[in-house]
Amino acid sequence: MAKRWLGILTVLTLLLAACGDSGTTTTVASGTGDTSASGEITDIEMWIAFADDTRLGFAEDKAAAFNAAHPEYNVVVQSFDSYNTVFEQAQLALDGGNPPEIIHFFEAATQEAIDAVDAAGDPIFKSVTAAIGGRTEILGEPVVLDDVVSAARNYYTIDGDFYSMPWNTSSAIMFVNQDMLDAAGVDIPETWADVDAACDTILAAADAPSGCITWPNHSWFIEQTLGQEGTLLANNDNGRTARATEVNVASDGMKAYFQWWKDLDASGKYLYTGVQRDWDGTNAAFQAKEVAMLIYSSSDTTVLTETGAENGFNVVAAPMPYNSDVPFEGNLIGGATLWLLNGLDTTTEDGALAFMNYFSNPENAAEWHKITGYIPITNAAVQLLKDEGWYETSPNSLVASDQLDAAANTPAARGALLGNFVSIRDVLTAAAENMLVNDGDVTTILEEAQGEAQRLLDEYNALFSN
Amino acid sequence: MTLLIALLVGAGAGAYGFRNALRLRPQPRYLAGAAFGLLGAAVVSGATKGCAYGTDVDSIQNVIGVAIAGAAGLAAATAASSTKAARGDEPIAKQRSELRTGTYRLGWWWPWLLLLPTLIILVVFLYIPAVQTFTLSTMLVRLGAPNTIDVCLSNFTELLVPNPWMVVVLPSLSVAVIWGLGLWKQRASAGSASYNLATTLQPLGIMALLTALYFMFSGGTNGYRSIYLNTVVISAGTVLGGMVFGLAIAYLAFQKVRGIGVYRTLLIWPYAVSAPVAGILFFMMFDPTAGVIQHIFDGFGIDFPNYRESVSLARFTVIAASVWKVLGYNILFYLAGLQNVPIDQIEASVLDGASAWQRFRYIVTPSLGPITFFLLITNLTYAFFDIYGTIDYLTRGAPAGATSVAIYEIIRVGVDNRDIGRGAAQSVLLFLAVIGLTIWQFRRSEDRITYGGVG
Amino acid sequence: MSFSAGVRKQGIIRGRAWPVHVLLILVTLAIGFPLVYAALISTQGNPDIFAFKLTPGDKLAKHFDDVWVGRSLGRSMWNSTVQSVLITVAKTVLSLAAGLAFVYFRFRGKWLVFFFVLVTLMMPTEVMILALFRLVSSLGWQNTMTALVVPFAASATGAFLFRQHFSNLPSELAEAAQVDGASPIQFLTKVLIPVSWNAIGALAVIQFVYGWNMYLWPVLIISDQKSQVIQVALQNLQGIDVGLTYGPLMLAALLASIPPAIIFILLQKQFMSGFSIGADK
Repeated sequence: MAKRWLGILTVLTLLLAACGDSGTTTTVASGTGDTSASGEITDIEMWIAFADDTRLGFAEDKAAAFNAAHPEYNVVVQSFDSYNTVFEQAQLALDGGNPPEIIHFFEAATQEAIDAVDAAGDPIFKSVTAAIGGRTEILGEPVVLDDVVSAARNYYTIDGDFYSMPWNTSSAIMFVNQDMLDAAGVDIPETWADVDAACDTILAAADAPSGCITWPNHSWFIEQTLGQEGTLLANNDNGRTARATEVNVASDGMKAYFQWWKDLDASGKYLYTGVQRDWDGTNAAFQAKEVAMLIYSSSDTTVLTETGAENGFNVVAAPMPYNSDVPFEGNLIGGATLWLLNGLDTTTEDGALAFMNYFSNPENAAEWHKITGYIPITNAAVQLLKDEGWYETSPNSLVASDQLDAAANTPAARGALLGNFVSIRDVLTAAAENMLVNDGDVTTILEEAQGEAQRLLDEYNALFSN
Repeated sequence: MTLLIALLVGAGAGAYGFRNALRLRPQPRYLAGAAFGLLGAAVVSGATKGCAYGTDVDSIQNVIGVAIAGAAGLAAATAASSTKAARGDEPIAKQRSELRTGTYRLGWWWPWLLLLPTLIILVVFLYIPAVQTFTLSTMLVRLGAPNTIDVCLSNFTELLVPNPWMVVVLPSLSVAVIWGLGLWKQRASAGSASYNLATTLQPLGIMALLTALYFMFSGGTNGYRSIYLNTVVISAGTVLGGMVFGLAIAYLAFQKVRGIGVYRTLLIWPYAVSAPVAGILFFMMFDPTAGVIQHIFDGFGIDFPNYRESVSLARFTVIAASVWKVLGYNILFYLAGLQNVPIDQIEASVLDGASAWQRFRYIVTPSLGPITFFLLITNLTYAFFDIYGTIDYLTRGAPAGATSVAIYEIIRVGVDNRDIGRGAAQSVLLFLAVIGLTIWQFRRSEDRITYGGVG
Repeated sequence: MSFSAGVRKQGIIRGRAWPVHVLLILVTLAIGFPLVYAALISTQGNPDIFAFKLTPGDKLAKHFDDVWVGRSLGRSMWNSTVQSVLITVAKTVLSLAAGLAFVYFRFRGKWLVFFFVLVTLMMPTEVMILALFRLVSSLGWQNTMTALVVPFAASATGAFLFRQHFSNLPSELAEAAQVDGASPIQFLTKVLIPVSWNAIGALAVIQFVYGWNMYLWPVLIISDQKSQVIQVALQNLQGIDVGLTYGPLMLAALLASIPPAIIFILLQKQFMSGFSIGADK
């Protein structure tokens, strides 16, 4: 008897599984539905590192709209779970002879993307500036690359060449639980010292939260701080005038930041979730009212503000606090760009370029900004949003753009460019974790990390030198 | 020159590994063992391109090269010896009858046809990657990088203390302790006080080996010693916890009370739950923001620490999740094992007025020896490999790498950091550990078969 | 009533039954707790969870929608089902064939083949996973079912299990079959398989659960969401909106555990008896 029920249950589960299967196949294929035009249809594959509904959904919608407007093309979006996976898979696909035309790749691997070569020794990617070749319109889609906001342009321009097409670009900003700050009677802190003072007040209250501030132990926040302090992470102007050969992890700017961070943690003001790159955990702590302040990526401004409201508090965004002991240079961008595969035929390449420019045209860039919090990537998009009055209703959304506009165009504030950066980032976060968890000495820890980081860079340069 | 030594060591280890092979006279036995040892050593030397034997590398690399060759030789010979043992495990009469009757006399290609798919898959997906792992471990390789650099064994020396003497002396000492205790036990007559003492002291050999390895791996923040320690602590915790609770619960579920079948099913089901899901469930329970443990402690006004921030608590949580996961399996096998407990002895002891504990200690436990050993091996396999999924969902190796065990570190280095060469070198270390365990396992079952002693 | 009957009835511990019941219930509850708790969470939204409500919430349908429709969990479960079934079938067939060759044939080099298969017992895939990853990728198999099944299609354990099982069968079976002129394949399908259901069932449970619970390999070789298996697909449920979404994650973890549990319970008898045969020898 029981067995029979179990049997039925098995069959049902499997049937459900099969239904789920066919259900999604149709949504994925939706882009191809309306291409009834005559002639050859050129497939353009775009691999992106987003798998969540909002961001993947946006990309799929725009691909479908582009396909409808250009029936001779069929842009297909393929989603992966992380930036690293996308790059790895693209490399494997190249060996297998079936690579995607457009690849979504994050800022820290810019050097690696430029250096990447296929088995024959040819570069994998082609500069979009070179591919556009001065055209202002491709297949009827206006070129928007020239209009990209300066912070992103500064970051991705290497040797005067704007290499890849920016898509999602953000900065690190601070979100505060305004209700908690009001209850404690403190203003939103601007500097490190302000944070300390505000936290003293907040934690002194009777029903104080368990911590005061948190942010993910992600190297990006360390790099942001170095930009603010005007400290270089690598030689040759942060690797921007020539290939970086020396990394400087144990700089004074780095020590100052680590020391501040360690003291915050030791005094119970900083809440460490115990996991590196823990976007989810820090966010959950903020939403659960365990901390009053969260330094985070502006990419989630919209949803963070909404979720805060659901959990019953008012979220206000503010610039990332800085070290007021040294002159301020500026914050840098984060995010990812779209890279164009090298060696495509003209039809395919033009289709890919047209889609990239369409993807970030003012309307799309503005929509992308609204649903996420990534900055509007072109000046035209910023203007469009201003005209709509968007910033009056959503003041939080303006903070990241303002912060980036305020940054100086110096090597430090542009951000570092170096090989093996992804692994070197891991060395930095491991060092920070070691400091937070094991109460390590800042100088010792950073000097150990320095050795490790330099070795990684040396090996990279050896493996990629011609 | 060093190559010669390496091959000789491999052959010697092979001869030693073959010493108990059945149905062979001593001389051909040692020769055959040496041949297998030589084969193992040669395969490994070939895979590493023999780079460790030159005079242009550090002497420590020579030493490691010889040690790896010796281990490979011992492994090959032990496997060969076990093959004989496994065949010898059936009565000779039966083997003969198997040869005379019931054997197909068809084309010679018939058995090969039947075995071909298995052999092809084993060669392509096990043997070739195994050899490649050794080759990769001597290089700097990065996914997507146009160049590779041969570094010989420096991927290994990085993991060890810089002092070659420590690397040579410490493991030798521990092997001597194990061997000496084994010899002592062999010489002493069974049941004598001396024999019992040797048996009691035998775990010392394993402790000595574990300690020696601890001091052999390099210390410091980035040293492999911490990874080794994590692996030992978490494996030991998982195995001990899993087996003690498994036996206790199985003993309870062996009682013939009403509805025991339902109880048993309810107790065994975690077997079907995967390691990642075990990680997810404990992640939820221990979550410092939303988990039930936190809430319960809050109720008592205690702020339960965040397990991802405390080294001991993080390890405990990983162990707890793993123990929970292996428990079903252990209960299942202990229940099967308890069926073999001699019921007449128990009845007799009941008449003698023995207490429940005495019955458990002196009648039940001894008859569970083979099952316990089997579970020890399978639980260790879990703690070495499957635990990856649990850790990946539970702690991701945090805090500060305190729950990053060997397999987790291999993936972190080899895949996340794309440093395939270093990852492969760490894989070789884990490989050696597995070979050691398997030899121990083969040896034990061999002993049982050879001497018919209690397992 | 004789003493031995009393012992048989009550097991090894003597005494009243109710303390045993109490202990068993406690242990069962402790072991079941993580699952029950997960079931509770799967019905609650984050605010309920933060507030530690002990009553079921009303979010179960929404969470189901999130994971099943939004995240195509069904597709991953289907992939896992295909993978596990193929692995189980392949391993069983190849192990049966190997067992047949080992027991019912004499051939030159049998000993060497045996050695060759035995050595693989000390070669777990995990220690060579980086090399295997490179190898399988170079075959262009990434993101395919082939990569999830073929490298695991053979089993040394299975081959030895059937060899052991077959050699314990009376040799008259083979003699009779040969007199009847049955080919080895007919002998296998008509005679050996029908008397081996327990061993096959036990092996099938192990292999199915092994395939279903496989994690590390798909993490490496499958990156396309559409081809992903369930154990890895759970990863993408950790952040559906922003921050941790506990409810959908717990629901998905529960759903992911249903198929192996069902297989296990259905084949429980074969599994148990398959193993006590092994343990009795």
